[in-house]
Amino acid sequence: MGRRLLITVLQMLITVFVASLVLFALIRLAPGDPAKLLIGRTMEIAWDAAAYETTLNELREEMGLNGSVFSQYVSWIGSLLQLDLGTSFYTDRSVAAEIGERLPSTLLLAGTALIIQTVIGLLVGILSAVHSGTWFDTVVRLLCVGLASVPGFVIGLVLLLVLAVQMGVYEISSQAALSRLWLPALTMGLLGAPQVVRVVRANLLSELGQVYIQSALSRGLGSTRAVWHAMRNVLLPTITLMGLSFTSYISGAVVIESVFAWPGLGEYALNGILHKDYPALQGYALVMVLSVVVIHLMVEALYVWLDPRMMRRKKEAAHE
Amino acid sequence: MNSRRASYTLGFGVALLALLAGSVLAASWLSPNDPLAMNVGARLQQPSMEHWLGTDRFGRDILTRTLHGGQTTLISCGLALLSAVLIGLLLGALAGMFHGSLFDIALMRIIDVLLAFPFMVFAMVIAALFGTSLFHLLLAVVVVWWVGFARLTRSLVLQAKNSTTVDAARVLGTSKSVILFRELLPQAFGPVLVLATFELGNLILAIAALSFLGLGSQPPSPEWGSMLADGRAHFMTSPHVLLGPALWIILTVLAFNCIGEGLRDRIDPYEKARIG
Repeated sequence: MGRRLLITVLQMLITVFVASLVLFALIRLAPGDPAKLLIGRTMEIAWDAAAYETTLNELREEMGLNGSVFSQYVSWIGSLLQLDLGTSFYTDRSVAAEIGERLPSTLLLAGTALIIQTVIGLLVGILSAVHSGTWFDTVVRLLCVGLASVPGFVIGLVLLLVLAVQMGVYEISSQAALSRLWLPALTMGLLGAPQVVRVVRANLLSELGQVYIQSALSRGLGSTRAVWHAMRNVLLPTITLMGLSFTSYISGAVVIESVFAWPGLGEYALNGILHKDYPALQGYALVMVLSVVVIHLMVEALYVWLDPRMMRRKKEAAHE
Repeated sequence: MNSRRASYTLGFGVALLALLAGSVLAASWLSPNDPLAMNVGARLQQPSMEHWLGTDRFGRDILTRTLHGGQTTLISCGLALLSAVLIGLLLGALAGMFHGSLFDIALMRIIDVLLAFPFMVFAMVIAALFGTSLFHLLLAVVVVWWVGFARLTRSLVLQAKNSTTVDAARVLGTSKSVILFRELLPQAFGPVLVLATFELGNLILAIAALSFLGLGSQPPSPEWGSMLADGRAHFMTSPHVLLGPALWIILTVLAFNCIGEGLRDRIDPYEKARIG
């Protein structure tokens, strides 16, 4: 069991390593000399050619751009390990510090959205599985297909228009205040709920048809208790989905953050694109990859803890 | 009863898609207006008999622009997804065929890495490095989106490989490529088609979101994404500016989702019971 988890960790380290190579290569491919870009923003002395040349060379030396590509990569990784993500071209501040400031508000938003999505999804999913085939089930089904077809920003904009502009119950600002959290979180939660409803409904339905539930029911177990028993087995696929949702919330938050002017990582990345701020984007992408991998690892560990059989099943699947 | 519902869903989706595609393809015939003609005197007008969905900030007819823009959006998204499907089918089939080979292992590692890059993040990095345009977004789509199809095809090929038909073909001395194209790939076709239908809807949503953020095609060409980005600043005062592109996007994605649901029930009832 521990060995299996160790292999997973190793695989993830490889993934992160390759991802860092890809990111490094992408930024190196970028048109334009990073040192020139940095200089262009901090000092406007381009007319003095000699001074410009010296400053450029000093800067290139300082940024480690004069060595070979390999040594550049090594020094980049070295500074990454010291949590140094470089300096933003635009604000001239440490990228790690700026990301550190914004990460909590993105995590707060994604976490709240995840809770909302899970609560709605579990409730509606259980109800529509228990009442499958009724009008309620049909309405839920239609709502799910419909909601899955609407872009998130459209729902966000409409909610903003109605609740903030017309009814005035939501404050428009660019602060990450707790009083402003509920609407973006609700929007994201609503958008994610249909997936949970589907997974819970389908798995619960197939679980309720199993022999152990049927025999328990025939021995006089109440139907609420039966659902409770069956839910234990529905939890695992739900947790997988929650992990996937959380990663897509952290990265996909960029749209909702932009609509509600929520100062999170997504907004930071958008500013980075606007100002061609490569270090900021590189840092953002790295943090995203790391969070995907870490969340995946957490889900995997949770699986082992919740269902020890999982490891054996996985092994068999791997040998298929 | 279930299969009947599936046919209704499928029929509804196909009919809706046909209607939308028809409206988009016949744009210049349906609407007398020019999608690029500005009329500063008639800017941001509410929907009226003359302009059914109103006008945008340059006084251009929004319905006309929506219909014309659909051509760019639908064709480019369709082409991008088609390339992703073909790449996924090819690589997935090869990996399944030569299961356990170096190629298979390497491909799985590459897929792991790509899965760690959320599409939004990847598209944003590409947009920052190479500039914001629809083409670059679609490039990012092709680079990332084949993964799902490759994984699906690989697992289907692995399943199909153990069937008696394939064993029989092998015993008869059929060459590997014939087995691949005649026996294995046809079995993967149905599920891949279902996935592709859903993914086309998701792709349109993702491209719309990125375009809305200003990373997609740039004005003045009519395109749903650029119309969204363009109308965004005026949405709070004149909400009708987004109605056209938003409505067409929602209906298109709805059509693909319905087709996907219907096809899934029809092609693979077993899969449906498992995934929902």
